[in-house]
Amino acid sequence: MSAPLAPDLPDPTRGGEPGGVVAFHERQEYVGRDVRTEEMVFNMGPQHPATHGVLRVAIKTDGEYVRALQPHVGNIHRCAEKIGESVAFYQWIPYLDRMDYLSAMCNEHIGCMAIERLGEIEVPERAEYIRIIVAEVQRILSHLMAIGVYGLDLGAFTPFLHQFRERERGMDLLDHLAGGRLLYHYVRIGGVKRDVSQDWLDELDAFLGAVEQRLPEYNTLLLHNRIFQERTFNVGVIDRATAVAWGVTGPALRAAGVDFDCRRDAPYSIYDRFDFEVPSGASGLGGQVGDCFQRHWIRVREVEESIKIVRQAVAGLPEGPVLGRVPRGFKPPAGEVFIRGENPRGELSIYMVSVGKSEQAWRARCRGPSFSNIACITEVAEGLLIGDLVALIGSLDIVLGEVDR
Amino acid sequence: MHVDTRSPSMIPGESLLDPELQQSVILTKVQWVKDWGRRHALWPMAFGLACCAMEMMATAATKYDLDRFGAGVFRASPRQSDLMIVAGTLSHKMAPRLRRLWEQMPDPKYVIAMGACVIGGGPYSKFGYHVVQGVDLIVPVDIYLPGCPPRPEALIDAIRKLQFRIQERSGETLPETADETSAA
Amino acid sequence: MGEVGDPTTAATADPVTERALTALRAALPDAVVEAQLDGAHPYIGVRATHLRAVCRLLRDDPALQYECCHLISAVDWPEPAEGEARIDVVYHLVSYAIRPDASYRTRPGKNDPYLALKVAVPRACPEVPTVMDIWIGADWHERETWDLMGVRFTGRKELPRILLPEDWPGHPLRKDWVYPASYHGVPIIPPEGM
Repeated sequence: MSAPLAPDLPDPTRGGEPGGVVAFHERQEYVGRDVRTEEMVFNMGPQHPATHGVLRVAIKTDGEYVRALQPHVGNIHRCAEKIGESVAFYQWIPYLDRMDYLSAMCNEHIGCMAIERLGEIEVPERAEYIRIIVAEVQRILSHLMAIGVYGLDLGAFTPFLHQFRERERGMDLLDHLAGGRLLYHYVRIGGVKRDVSQDWLDELDAFLGAVEQRLPEYNTLLLHNRIFQERTFNVGVIDRATAVAWGVTGPALRAAGVDFDCRRDAPYSIYDRFDFEVPSGASGLGGQVGDCFQRHWIRVREVEESIKIVRQAVAGLPEGPVLGRVPRGFKPPAGEVFIRGENPRGELSIYMVSVGKSEQAWRARCRGPSFSNIACITEVAEGLLIGDLVALIGSLDIVLGEVDR
Repeated sequence: MHVDTRSPSMIPGESLLDPELQQSVILTKVQWVKDWGRRHALWPMAFGLACCAMEMMATAATKYDLDRFGAGVFRASPRQSDLMIVAGTLSHKMAPRLRRLWEQMPDPKYVIAMGACVIGGGPYSKFGYHVVQGVDLIVPVDIYLPGCPPRPEALIDAIRKLQFRIQERSGETLPETADETSAA
Repeated sequence: MGEVGDPTTAATADPVTERALTALRAALPDAVVEAQLDGAHPYIGVRATHLRAVCRLLRDDPALQYECCHLISAVDWPEPAEGEARIDVVYHLVSYAIRPDASYRTRPGKNDPYLALKVAVPRACPEVPTVMDIWIGADWHERETWDLMGVRFTGRKELPRILLPEDWPGHPLRKDWVYPASYHGVPIIPPEGM
């Protein structure tokens, strides 16, 4: 033992006598005793690679620990609700694409359903099946992105490059159908724009096979990887009470142990015809219910379930038209509608008010799932390490486009 | 290496030089080499704002591999980058921050306006009260890249066009790209 | 307006809303202003003064347990068909603990077990008591409603804007809001006729 660690501190074990050499086994008592730390406030974002967009988080830190935190949103507020009441109903659908740009098809699907329910428009059977197919393909693509980017957040670059191979294939698939790689405007009021061909269905089958085959590979890179597990086990735990009180939905809610999925428990479209499982947080995986690992695991499981749904939908695809008759200058009767559907990130809700005899909605309110999901980090992030905060934000898989709308 | 054969008139006393010697005046070559290096080592700043950022990521990822064109080193800090690809919708709340980030970039710096929103408001130009109607109201733009969102091929093309533009500044017209440069 | 036990609407009345309405009428007879039980969007109209008591009851009643405030929205009615100018604040509540049985999912009409509350406040002075202490998730929704629609939520420590900058002029979702000419020197081109 060389110099004393803290010579001037009175030492209770030696009768309060200051000074003297501190033995190695006694040093633990001194750790941090006279080291003064200061609280510091700094900003993460709005331009930061770990915030998944233009989110600004003001963090009050004490050393490496987060003491308090406040997310500031609105940096990409694009006035979707004002536009919703300024343009005709059918013109609003492309704006829904751009709200959550990683799940455009799901947004369109739910938006069109809201308008159809308002105007009591029938959708042909074949169109319903095609909608399910494209929405679930979109869910697979979105989750692939979430899986890859989460690796990027935790410092693993390889999974990102690997998942993009399958994601590109899926984007090409939707490109061939809808004419756009990312944003489609494919689902229309009363059906879908184009019919699917047998060639396309074959292509789809090959894509599903490829994802199914590669999924274990991604799991080797992340889910079963010791480093990944150490970074995510017991980190950023959102328990059931917190998740429910903050209005968290989607994979984050299910990871917290709430077994709820709109597709099964409040079925819309024709989801009640398909057989699929809803994964929810379990304690046997290592870590604990509601931690970052479980949220990642739920996404991986949901990709598997989505593949099952698409296969069933393709098998049951009936013949018939794909676009019902919608009058030009469509004016729904006066009324209100509230609809929610399961997006890859959670529940997208749309509340529309129509006053009748008008081509525009009187009020078009939408709630992006990421809005509530990111709000909860104010409570959850307290006491986390800064590095774990990145893991927490990444595991929530937010898209700022729908936080700000 | 391609050498400029035009007379470099900026150097005093240059006309005294032997015409043969003029072809290898050292100043011309340094400028050329600087631009040549610059154009093949663009460090873009990952300035993803919205939907277009996804396509920017796709361009940098597996299939399109922006690294092939010497512009794939995405930096998170403006101080390390010389190209800002503004990908997505710029809002009034974000505009001062964009301006500050642009000012933090070292010279010479270039801006690509990617997507309809940053060119002129795009789909939000009419009713989007909170959308800045063109990023050129905030910072000067070198290349405008239309699309909603532009495909990765289009972004690669925009970066190539910017590279030709950079080389043009040293008075150079690249022989293999002369047609594309004049078209741009 | 469907009432409980009304034979004309009994067949189509939404059992979820009906159950909540019965509990509310029993415990807080003055709170309910109106109720619509059938149609695509059944709701219960509640007095603003009683909103907090209603919300607390809906959350704490073991038979209801609405533990999540899913969405708060506001609808501007500057010239309604009847009555004076008002703003409707609409709450959508969700319960994960109490779920209707499987037959509810297949019923025609509304098959999603949410509950909608509606609070009408005068447009000149739109003030609603906060429910942030009942459901913490209401925090951001209230801030957004203030930001875009200008409804004040009273009883909160502070009510900052959330999406727009603090010095933004007005509340854009009000029907009479006019587009400003510029914001900090950056022009905003208003649409024709606005």
